[in-house]
Amino acid sequence: MTSTIDVARHQEAATTSVLECRGIGKEFPGVVALSDVSLEIRAGEIHAFLGQNGAGKSTLVKVLTGVYQATRGEILVGGKSVQLRDPRDAEANGIAIVHQDQPLVAQLDVTRNVFLGQEITLAGGVLDLSTMRKQTADALRQVGATFDADTLVSELSVAQREQAAIAAAIVRKPRILILDEPTASLSDSEAELLFGIVRALRDNGVTIIYISHYLDEVLDLVDRVTVLRDGKLVATLPVAETSRAGIVQMMVGRDIEQLYPKEQVTIGEPLLQVRGLTQGHMLRGVDLDVRRGEIFGIAGLMGAGRSELALSLIGALPRSGGSVTVAGKPSDPRTPRSAKKQGFALIPEDRRHEGLVTDMTVRENLTLPELSRFSRAGIVRGGQERAAANSLVERLRIQPPHLNQATRNLSGGNQQKIVIGRWLLGDAEVFLFDEPTTGVDVGSKVEIYRQMVELARRGAAVIFISSDFEEIAGMSDRVAVMHKGRINKLFEPGEATAETLLYWASGSADDTEAEHGASHEAVADEASSQMPAAGVAASPAQAATPPSLWARWGTIGGMVVVLALIAILAPQFLSFNNIFDVLKQGSVLAFIALGLTVVLIAGGFDMSAGAVSQFATNLAAGTMIAGAGSAAALGLGALTGLIAGAVNSALVLIFGMPAFVATLGVMFVAMGATLLYNGGQALTLSDQPGFFFIGQGYVGPVPFVLILLLGTTAILHFVLKRTRLGLRMYAVGQNLLAAELRGIGRARYATASFMLGGLVLGLAGVILASYSYGASALATGIDFLISALAAAFLGSTLNKAGELNVVGTLIAALFLASLSNGLILIGISSQALPGIQGLVLILSIALGVIHKRGIGQVLIF
Amino acid sequence: MSVSSNRPKSSTNSISVLGLLRDYGAILGMIAVLGIFWYLKPAFLSAANVENVFRQSGIVMIMALGLTIVMKMRGVDLSIAQTADAAGLIAAMLIIAKYPIWMAFAIPLLFGLVVGIVNAVLMAYVGIPAIIGTLGMMFIIRSGELMATNGAEPQILFTLPRSLTRDFLWLGQKDLGPVAALIVLALVVFLVVFVIMRFTPFARYAKAVGSNVRAAFLAGIDIRMIFGLGFVIAGVLAALAGVALVSRTGIAMPRGAEPFLLDAFAAAYLGTLASRQGEMSIPGTLMGALFIGFLSNGLTLLGLGAPYRYALNGGFILLAMAIGALKRKN
Repeated sequence: MTSTIDVARHQEAATTSVLECRGIGKEFPGVVALSDVSLEIRAGEIHAFLGQNGAGKSTLVKVLTGVYQATRGEILVGGKSVQLRDPRDAEANGIAIVHQDQPLVAQLDVTRNVFLGQEITLAGGVLDLSTMRKQTADALRQVGATFDADTLVSELSVAQREQAAIAAAIVRKPRILILDEPTASLSDSEAELLFGIVRALRDNGVTIIYISHYLDEVLDLVDRVTVLRDGKLVATLPVAETSRAGIVQMMVGRDIEQLYPKEQVTIGEPLLQVRGLTQGHMLRGVDLDVRRGEIFGIAGLMGAGRSELALSLIGALPRSGGSVTVAGKPSDPRTPRSAKKQGFALIPEDRRHEGLVTDMTVRENLTLPELSRFSRAGIVRGGQERAAANSLVERLRIQPPHLNQATRNLSGGNQQKIVIGRWLLGDAEVFLFDEPTTGVDVGSKVEIYRQMVELARRGAAVIFISSDFEEIAGMSDRVAVMHKGRINKLFEPGEATAETLLYWASGSADDTEAEHGASHEAVADEASSQMPAAGVAASPAQAATPPSLWARWGTIGGMVVVLALIAILAPQFLSFNNIFDVLKQGSVLAFIALGLTVVLIAGGFDMSAGAVSQFATNLAAGTMIAGAGSAAALGLGALTGLIAGAVNSALVLIFGMPAFVATLGVMFVAMGATLLYNGGQALTLSDQPGFFFIGQGYVGPVPFVLILLLGTTAILHFVLKRTRLGLRMYAVGQNLLAAELRGIGRARYATASFMLGGLVLGLAGVILASYSYGASALATGIDFLISALAAAFLGSTLNKAGELNVVGTLIAALFLASLSNGLILIGISSQALPGIQGLVLILSIALGVIHKRGIGQVLIF
Repeated sequence: MSVSSNRPKSSTNSISVLGLLRDYGAILGMIAVLGIFWYLKPAFLSAANVENVFRQSGIVMIMALGLTIVMKMRGVDLSIAQTADAAGLIAAMLIIAKYPIWMAFAIPLLFGLVVGIVNAVLMAYVGIPAIIGTLGMMFIIRSGELMATNGAEPQILFTLPRSLTRDFLWLGQKDLGPVAALIVLALVVFLVVFVIMRFTPFARYAKAVGSNVRAAFLAGIDIRMIFGLGFVIAGVLAALAGVALVSRTGIAMPRGAEPFLLDAFAAAYLGTLASRQGEMSIPGTLMGALFIGFLSNGLTLLGLGAPYRYALNGGFILLAMAIGALKRKN
């Protein structure tokens, strides 16, 4: 690939350094993550950072992109010392990064994702979509993408998302582009495509820092490598002066020799047999035989499919194919619960999020899976439970040895011992240890190794998954190496060393390459045909299928059918007068639904929507009675809504309350305030033609309120879809992580969402006062709430991406109004209406859940 | 209430006065509020009034306990008040239609069970967010009630012949030994729920589901069943509260029990003040329900009606959550 021109250019560029680190050190409490790292990145090169897990690569990248601040040392960009305080600083200095599995906002199109955080705007924050689309198309062409800039990200395959993420980095015109494990979830052919893009970028003058575990691809692709080990720089070398074996040598090797308490245990008959196990595109046919008394190592780097293997064995991930037997009996558990009954025990990779229940005590955690053993007649026997937990604490030397302390503040080692200990009480025979020693102190490590030996001695089969190849080599009998979803090497006892394991784990050997390519297609086909629901296709050609015709147009079709039925049963439904009457009725509720939709987009939930509107209704009626005029009523209504929005957002953001609770409280306060204000009496208005015109007037044959509604919807639609503010509100609501990585914080846009929504809700209240000639005596805020929620969520099913949107809300609200009018015309009691609204609400959400579409933050309570 | 929010954010000595205030300030605040009522209206703490409050609080508590169980698992059940309403209505209609008394107790409870099971299927197995699903359920039940009563006609029991209603109204209006039967019922329910939520595997699993659902799943817990059971318990308890309410008042007003939703929420959230970590608990909910009962009674004695109750309850929910947030920051 290296042409003579390249070489010439490189030599010319070799003198200029674009990025230099001088003595970078980074310390976390108790841990030195980086110490005295000095290196130089030259203009126009592809420079790889290599190192094992925990070597400090990602810390270094985070320092370079402003996520972390170095404890000491200096960063120079283009020869000038710079301070990188946050990702925006890094971007301003021309450093862009594509994160591993970069999160994107699935419901937005590619253009908006690409420019998120750095939108090109016209006056007043209006998005300059045509310019952005053009630049996105250019960038997509550069990365060889076959999809266009208007495609929704949710319709892209994994590889295409990677291309979109790189395009996003390109439009920021970086001088330095950092790619973090870009091939981790790509197939071989997709990775090849990516290498072409990377080379083309370099040829266009972009300097690239490339981080990968796969040494093969690194050696083909990069110009120079920097090897890190234990937070220190080992060497920076041109790739021509090194070899894979040489790099492996530099990556492994510890400062302190670890002692492994491995003992010889008699190996018994085979216990676990796995044949051709596949899982999506993460496992591509795994065969294993593990015997009693054996510690079977599985060495693999991140993304090799190790954890997927463990999870699909215990039924936590659905299998796509293959068979498993335990002690000769077929095993296909649907849930970890049935796997437990078949003798499986998993010590999960992520201790804090998947293993421990940190709010529970040591005792409660230790007995969690086997609690039924200590209960009789449905009551837990405290004495027996304590005795069992105590024996475990002693056996595992958990420190401090207190049963009733919370596990949250224990050290990593003691937490891990608890997660292991909970499986020692039961009948588990197949133990899956997934990275049991990450973040664990040395003493606890030895204790964990001892437990593995002890289990093997008792005749269990122990599967030991790790990317720390020294411990795998030191503790295991046989070792299998996993690479890209397969086992590509099996070592007999005593054969494996840290070097050979890393050698095999970091790339497939040449002789298996051909077979790889040949079987790849078949596996990909199989995977996609058996796992249609996963929505993750294995190659760019098989992009995730766009939603079916039914999913896309089902709601609209259903609405038309329902309205047609009503029209057949009650012909007067379609009369001119009735239609406008319905539109007028529906408009008031549609206003409330619009306000609620705006809040739901970025603010989370809003229980108070209906109650706030109703409070505004009362204030407006009161203002009119006091003779202050329509303008005052409108102003007061708007102010009320804004204040309610501000209070809601303050409660959510400052006190960290769940949006539901905060708005529930505000709802009750607003209901109380309403009743205090009107004293339990209806505030009836009369003879206010100017004010009544808002809700009851006609312009020609058209109700004025409908015109107002359409105008408001158009404005909101414009703000939400065509301005920076709206784009960021959607981004914050739909994928907060993606937004934050682009430097967009939640506070500002959630507040905007609450306030803008509150404004609409307040105005809706005033319109309600005008429409109904005053305010009723009741505080029926929750009734408005359900109609508004039903409209908002039904409206979201009209949208291609299933996102909440004001146009959908408008259509849905008017549909619901027509429905209630139609049902009354047919002669069905209006008392059925709340129930129908409730059903519509549940069904439209169920539709979204079943189609696995995002419904924003509402899911989170 | 304001006492505890005044404390400084950092108190190093946990046995200090400030530490005591942090742990018990909220409770002292509640007692202070009640003290003010007592000062303004000495009849507030008369034996008759206190018993009256206990009866009212008992009903709120029964409903709030179910809600507490669901909310401890990070769910929510907005349909409980409507379930109670409908259950009471069913009981009254059965008595008016001269069905045997046992059916007036059994059928509403069965109804609560069915509502709970439907909720469980929707939230735990289909995966609908609990706020939405139970809100929808609330309105479906309301429609059913309105249609069954021809647009919210009250079902009046106290005008019926005594012989027909005596056994049914006994629960809410008569004494069991020296104590009102309703208070005994509330105590029994409290003890049963307390035992369930302290000594059974279900309680432990529920706690695991509430604090780390992924870990609970991987530890082999049937998380859907556990989450769903919460809704079933909430449905049955709500129905029981509804029957008790109608038995106490002798009249089933469709939609009459709806305000209890607010009371139940306020009771559960006020209960978080009793815990150091600001968590919901069964005894906390009992305390919250008692406070809510005394509060609304006191407001009524002072001639302050529903508006104050709404506003104060809502305010107390927010205050309790804010104090909880400050506690966790410490």
